[in-house]
Amino acid sequence: MNETTLDTAESSIVTSSADAAPRRTFELDDTGFKEVPKRWRKFYRHWQGAGDELAPNEVICPVCKVVIRSHREFRPGDRVYCMPCMSRLVVVERPDGRLEADVLY
Amino acid sequence: MADFLSQYSIQRWLEMCPQGYLEDTVYGHEEGLAEPDDIMGDEDLRVASIALTVQLIAGERCALAASSGLVNAAPDDASKTFLATQTLDEARHVEIFTKRLVDLGVRKEDVNSTVDELANPNLVKFAEVLLEKVADGDFIAGVVGQNIVLEGMAFSVFELLEATSKDLNPKFAQTLSGTIADERRHVGFGENRIGSLIREHPERREDIERMQSEMTYHMLATFADVFSASGDSMDRGRQLAADHGELDGADMKWHGTDLATASTEDMEAVLANTVLGEFKTRLGRIGLEYRSPKVPA
Repeated sequence: MNETTLDTAESSIVTSSADAAPRRTFELDDTGFKEVPKRWRKFYRHWQGAGDELAPNEVICPVCKVVIRSHREFRPGDRVYCMPCMSRLVVVERPDGRLEADVLY
Repeated sequence: MADFLSQYSIQRWLEMCPQGYLEDTVYGHEEGLAEPDDIMGDEDLRVASIALTVQLIAGERCALAASSGLVNAAPDDASKTFLATQTLDEARHVEIFTKRLVDLGVRKEDVNSTVDELANPNLVKFAEVLLEKVADGDFIAGVVGQNIVLEGMAFSVFELLEATSKDLNPKFAQTLSGTIADERRHVGFGENRIGSLIREHPERREDIERMQSEMTYHMLATFADVFSASGDSMDRGRQLAADHGELDGADMKWHGTDLATASTEDMEAVLANTVLGEFKTRLGRIGLEYRSPKVPA
């Protein structure tokens, strides 16, 4: 059975019962990202390019290169929404273990 | 995903754009900002800035013609609505870059003749390839050409220019920053709308990939022309900035290249490689194959 928790900007995190460990939680502060209405700004930040290491609660939108942030760490299968470019994404795990987002058309 | 089109509303656009990041701006920047003295006090730099701004206006005029032309070709109301908002975005871009031209000393009555005289011929051809599809009412090709190829190019060009300007020319950097925010929505629409349409119309791939190849050829030729002509003014600008201590602590890295010291060849290479890499990735995601230009530019 899956539990859906409303989280970032109109996104949802789908928690599978198979999740082995509880997810870490994170406090989100305003990073100065102004490209979405105020109440959603803490869920996004500008990517600083190579060398900008992502936290476990962050993924890059492959369409517009904005970093999407969540209150909880991401896991493969999580669905997230990128409000700046209005893309719907799913978190996937690459062979090297990195978490990335794929676009859902 | 069937309902993804519902997010394309005027209300959403109002909240994000005019009531969001453009609130309290004047022509895309904080009120009171001006072009820096380094540019306005040096004739070579001022002329070079005019030439650069003309290319931005030429590109945005093409985007305005394309997005407005695609409204009637769109197959659904949500796409028409989005393209209507994009039309206003592009009109704003034409306006703010035209305003910059005037701020740089071009008289209002000379704007069109200046654009006609200085617009790069390859950029004009790039626009013609796209606008031919739009004139034919070809929605799929038009959106790929406009929202993937043209906007994908603009996205990287504006990012590069913003990286070089944020410490040296806050007025121009802020103008670019708002434009980049607009481009995020435009490329997002291109991928999300066309991603599903290409799956429904695989027979269109050949024609669209040929258009992409042709546009890419003219884009690379434009980059080559612009960068080869900008070496002297770039050196002059760097020298003035260094003399005034403006490069001390300046962060001008972009995709691993230090824009404060890179040669024009290196800058052209990092821009071209970034744009082409993005083309390949974006086109691949929506089911198209990137096609190299027939003659390397």
